[in-house]
Amino acid sequence: MKRLFSRLSFETKLNLGITTIIATMALTLLPLVVSITKDALLEEHRKRGADIAASLAVRAVDPLLALDFLRLRELVAEPRDVTYIFIQDRAGRILAHSFGPDFPVDLATANHADPQNPMRIQLIDNGMERIDDIATLIRVHDEPIGTVRLGLSRRAASEILDHLVATLMIIFLTGLTLASAAGTLFARTITSRLDRLQSRAGALRQRHLPETSPTLPDPPHQGDEISALEHAFSAMARELDHRMGELLQAQRRLEEQTRLLSTVLDANPDRICLRDTRMIYHAANEAFCQAVGVSKEDIPGRTDFDLFAEDEAERRHLEGRDVLASGQRMERQEQETTAQGSRWFHVIQIPVRGARGRILGLLRMERDITAMKDYERQLIQSQKIESLGKLAGGVAHEINTPLGIILGTTQLLLDDVPADSSMAEDLRTIERHTKACRKIVADLLEFSHASTSEKVEMCFNNSVMEAVSLVRHTFSLDQVTIATDLDDSFPIIYGDPEELKQVWINLLTNARDALPQGGIIAVRTTLLRAESCVRLEVADTGIGIDAASISKVFDPFFTTKPVGQGTGLGLSVSYSIIEKHKGQIQVHSPVPETFPWPVPVDGPHCGPGTLFTVTIPLDHASLEDHHGPHSRPR
Amino acid sequence: MHFLLRVGILLLVCAGGVGCSGQEDARFVDWNKRAPVALPRQEPAITYAYLPQYTHAVSFERHRRILEYLRQATGLPFRQVFPATFAEHMAMVERGDIDISFTNPFVYVLLHHRAGAQVFARAVEEEGGADFQGQVIVRADNAAITSLEDCRGKTWIAVEPTSAGGYLFPLALFHEHGITLDQFARVEFARGVGGKQEQVVLAVLSGAYDIGSIRKGTLDIVARRYDTSAIRVLAETPPYPGWLFCARKDLSPEVTQQVAQALTALRRPKDESILAPAGLTAIIPASHADYRPIEKLMHTLGMETVP
Repeated sequence: MKRLFSRLSFETKLNLGITTIIATMALTLLPLVVSITKDALLEEHRKRGADIAASLAVRAVDPLLALDFLRLRELVAEPRDVTYIFIQDRAGRILAHSFGPDFPVDLATANHADPQNPMRIQLIDNGMERIDDIATLIRVHDEPIGTVRLGLSRRAASEILDHLVATLMIIFLTGLTLASAAGTLFARTITSRLDRLQSRAGALRQRHLPETSPTLPDPPHQGDEISALEHAFSAMARELDHRMGELLQAQRRLEEQTRLLSTVLDANPDRICLRDTRMIYHAANEAFCQAVGVSKEDIPGRTDFDLFAEDEAERRHLEGRDVLASGQRMERQEQETTAQGSRWFHVIQIPVRGARGRILGLLRMERDITAMKDYERQLIQSQKIESLGKLAGGVAHEINTPLGIILGTTQLLLDDVPADSSMAEDLRTIERHTKACRKIVADLLEFSHASTSEKVEMCFNNSVMEAVSLVRHTFSLDQVTIATDLDDSFPIIYGDPEELKQVWINLLTNARDALPQGGIIAVRTTLLRAESCVRLEVADTGIGIDAASISKVFDPFFTTKPVGQGTGLGLSVSYSIIEKHKGQIQVHSPVPETFPWPVPVDGPHCGPGTLFTVTIPLDHASLEDHHGPHSRPR
Repeated sequence: MHFLLRVGILLLVCAGGVGCSGQEDARFVDWNKRAPVALPRQEPAITYAYLPQYTHAVSFERHRRILEYLRQATGLPFRQVFPATFAEHMAMVERGDIDISFTNPFVYVLLHHRAGAQVFARAVEEEGGADFQGQVIVRADNAAITSLEDCRGKTWIAVEPTSAGGYLFPLALFHEHGITLDQFARVEFARGVGGKQEQVVLAVLSGAYDIGSIRKGTLDIVARRYDTSAIRVLAETPPYPGWLFCARKDLSPEVTQQVAQALTALRRPKDESILAPAGLTAIIPASHADYRPIEKLMHTLGMETVP
């Protein structure tokens, strides 16, 4: 039964429900209403009869006392809507009645009022109808002098009641019909909407979830439209839940990938940015943002004209347009000159295409290749130095022999001439200059690696201090003070003590030459445990090196000193020695502000100064990968 | 579901029970068993009538116990009859339909002269004793009438042309003050059957008439039903011999004697229950001579005792 009911359509259920409610109400209320109405009608019926009887009893007093039968007859004939009236005297004799010629004999005694019950109502059944017989005493004060009997047929009340019941039935039936019609209309309105909702849910599911998840089979449904709708929505909800789970997983993966990509991009030192086809920026990495001085969050929506100077923006915009128009990858190197200096960038611009090959945007990557450019130039320079060294070595070797002959011959001649003669003086001049020439030749040979070296384990600090001690006194005569700050860990290196001492003396001598008015030379050694190397820094408060010269100081024969005061080979030789020790030598001018001077350097004679930094590995590893932003190895 | 079903069935049963309840017991009367009804035959009895100055009910109530007493005291059958008007009363006495009348002195004088009625007892009333008076009444708030002289040009309602206290005594009083009937704007009498004393009081109370004339004592009687505080008594007539019991001319003298003896034997307080409803304190023997002043008064007013 329950199953059969559940299979009925919602519209049928609604109609059945409304019909049942109204029918139940009718069946429940109709007897109640009829009963209450019947009681009220009968009560009113009796009350009306009692009022008429009481009125007649009062009006009958005088005619009864006067035995005025005519007036009594008029009294009983007066009311029109009663079944009968008759008046009895005290002895119960009929004085007047409304029955016509004959009076129902038994009626006279069918009801009786007395002083204890001055009005008595008795239901009388005459075989044809039921009549309420009302007997009312006619009294003068408390003295009964007769009785008025009045009969009210219940037919009229019954007719009214029947009419009322019929009316109520009609009302109920009309209500039932109207309610059923309204219910049908209402149900159709609802069910049509439910049907539409169900079909929309199905369509939605078909359109967006064309394939049902194999793990979520649809349970069979039985029932009405609501059940079908519930089923459709449940299935859709399950599918949506399942798909939503997949979607969330995909979203999490996407977020992780986005985060990873962002991390990778931000960690990338290249400047990377993405623009759409309207050349509006969508994203950029950290390096790009730092370069343009805008936060990552503020990048989207900007254009080149918001981020760069007008010329630069115009150039970038046109370049981007060209790439978007051609659809071809563009790659080139460009130099960027700023207040901080000139830098080289390798620029790649790639059109970003969608799944169907349509260009959606433009990816621009700028890699800083300034260092590579420097290396490139250094390589060329090294090659040049190496070639020059070989040439100088060959020339020196060839010159060395004649110089030896000249020196030997000169010294033989000196033995043959008196020591105080002018000949001897001339010969000593020849000897001195020949020795000078031999020194030059020896340097040339050293420069060309022609000389051999012998590396031993040596104390780095001792080597430095030997050089410092050697020159400190002489320098002090020129008002030059050497302040040292040596690392206490006494680093041991593997090197040639003599050659390194030559480097240290060369650096100290150059510093002293930069201090014509005197000043301070700071010598600082540091053990860099992490890099497994030891560093020497020689800084002076001297005149410094101008920007044009600083890139050439390690070039052979480059010198800023007057003719005769320098060969221009000192720093080139030093460079060669350090290179032989797998180390690096760098120059900075002016001295960086971060340099920790061992003594105060405030004074009117202080210039921008120069800082030479020599780094030598503790072992034999090369320090080629450790280079600073201003390294100028030559 | 089952609970709702049970509740529904219970409601239906209750409603059915209520709807089907209330069956009454009916008494069967055979409607076809019929017979003509003859008016009850009046048993022979001595008829007694109270001059209809009040309604029949009041007349009945006032003299019901006197009649019961007479039945017991004399062993004779008595029946109270209720004439509608003074004229009917007199006519019934003349016809012999009323054997014993309780009537006012004017009606008696007329009955005596016209039909030979004979007084045999005289009522002693609570107010005025054996004599009684008439009263002229006005509304208490009628400032225009403060004396009998003010009544000239006014409207007057009286009980009946033959009413002693209710018309003739006050008429004589006006006559003594030199006010004649033609000096009133209008003189009318109470209409209808019985209850005329009350009608006069009500007519003055309602303002329909300026003055009214009633028998003294009426105000006390009607005060039980109406507020008589709005009525002011303008004047009272001198006392005249009061109401009386008289027998028609042909009534057996023995019966008259029995009745006279029985009535005059009533005494208060032992017969309080009989006398009090009629407003009487005693009943004393009387003869026609006692009513000579009335005859004189009628002559004074120009009233004819014989038509």
